[in-house]
Amino acid sequence: MKTFFDKIKQNDFYKLWFKDALPYVTGAVLLSVFQIVTFTTTGNPWGVSGVFANWGAWLFELVGGSVDKWFYFSSPGAQATLNAGFLNDPGTWRNLGIVAGALFAAMMASGFKIKKIKSIRQVIAAALGGILMGYGARIAFGCNIGALFSGIASLSLSGWVFAAFMFVGAIIGSKLLVKYFM
Amino acid sequence: MAEEKVRTSSRASSRGGTEKRKKKNQIPIAMIIFAVIAGIGVWLGFKEETLLLYWLLGLAFGFTLQRSRFCFTASMRDPYLTKSTSITRAVLIAFAITSIAFTAIKYGYFINGLAIPGQSYIAPISIATAIGACMFGIGMVIAGGCASGTLMRIGEGFWMQVISLFFFIVGSLWGAHDFGWWKRTFMLKAPKIFLPDYLGWLGGLVVNLLIIAVIYVIAHKWEKKHSDGLSH
Amino acid sequence: MAKEVELDCMGEACPIPLIKTEKALEELEVGDTLIVLVDHSCAMKNVPEWARKQGHEVELEEVDDGEWEVYIEKMK
Repeated sequence: MKTFFDKIKQNDFYKLWFKDALPYVTGAVLLSVFQIVTFTTTGNPWGVSGVFANWGAWLFELVGGSVDKWFYFSSPGAQATLNAGFLNDPGTWRNLGIVAGALFAAMMASGFKIKKIKSIRQVIAAALGGILMGYGARIAFGCNIGALFSGIASLSLSGWVFAAFMFVGAIIGSKLLVKYFM
Repeated sequence: MAEEKVRTSSRASSRGGTEKRKKKNQIPIAMIIFAVIAGIGVWLGFKEETLLLYWLLGLAFGFTLQRSRFCFTASMRDPYLTKSTSITRAVLIAFAITSIAFTAIKYGYFINGLAIPGQSYIAPISIATAIGACMFGIGMVIAGGCASGTLMRIGEGFWMQVISLFFFIVGSLWGAHDFGWWKRTFMLKAPKIFLPDYLGWLGGLVVNLLIIAVIYVIAHKWEKKHSDGLSH
Repeated sequence: MAKEVELDCMGEACPIPLIKTEKALEELEVGDTLIVLVDHSCAMKNVPEWARKQGHEVELEEVDDGEWEVYIEKMK
């Protein structure tokens, strides 16, 4: 059994499909294909961060909170999603699929490793970054995927506005990172 | 710097030392994960077909992101930080491909008199877009990954990204809580601009592609300028 | 005499390995070798790519599951 898997490691097709990093352009083409498949099959472009707001609502309810009075969740669609629950939300499964797909890819390349937290600096960076991203994505109608990738693909000017200001943010973030989080 | 140490041994012997470590082969674990993924897929398929579809799409995105090390954060950060634009240009290629396909799909609905799908992604442009995008840009660089990147890195085993995801969710909830105020104050009067409404279908697509092309050329020149003419 | 310097970037996410590499290389002399230890699959791609573009000699070695050593010989 062991030798069988070791033989796979030497196989050229294995190296091409599972081991060696694909060029960025190949990644771009594949992501485009799946983005188009997403649009044609689900009727909407790809989005990631909107789901996190629902996850937040469920977590909040878990600790006894209620979002029923919040304007954000007041639409019938949002209420239906929340009432259906975590496991019945399609977006939940797409986001979990990203984790699972990456996990499978990393294992298949024999490149998975648990990376423990190294310092308190990492915790602060992750927490601060996470909050900024979460809040920012809600008021800007999405993240890199929903507002940027899907926005620009949908010929929405908002995608370009988002891109310009996110670039400004990325420069500020880079300066902060070099100064405080290295 | 404390973490730097000078290796006393020659390069050959230091490399010999590392080769003594026995690499484990993780492909068998990958097979188990594959079985679990397939099992979840079957379960979702029986539950509701839509859930299976989304599961498959997520897997495809996650696999592609990891295999190509694709990173939307890097596409925005690297031009400034490392003067590298290879990911930026790859992202632009994805924009070009998808905007052509999306326009074709939308036009197909339009010409047949049907409601155009996905128009909820045409977001209103207001000061909230600018502030939100800027916050997002800062956050993703500090946290080392955007939304999809955070999920992808959790799959790769980063604990830091688990924290990042938790606070992303907290931030999303916070943003959702304040959303009503942002909407009342800025978004209600903000324009939603779908380029074909102003420039026609072909015009809208051409302008979109032109913007992409211009940024592509600038990105290419930017990198060339900073690689001291050594770039091949 | 040319020396070898090790830079430990284990557990660091992008872009920290690359920034540290950039800084460490600045302090080295031409002919010295920097060995960057990374366990981030993105760094294993972007550190060598960046160093090659800068005109250095680069070699990448997988030393363990999910761990890589990037050998960068400073050329200029």
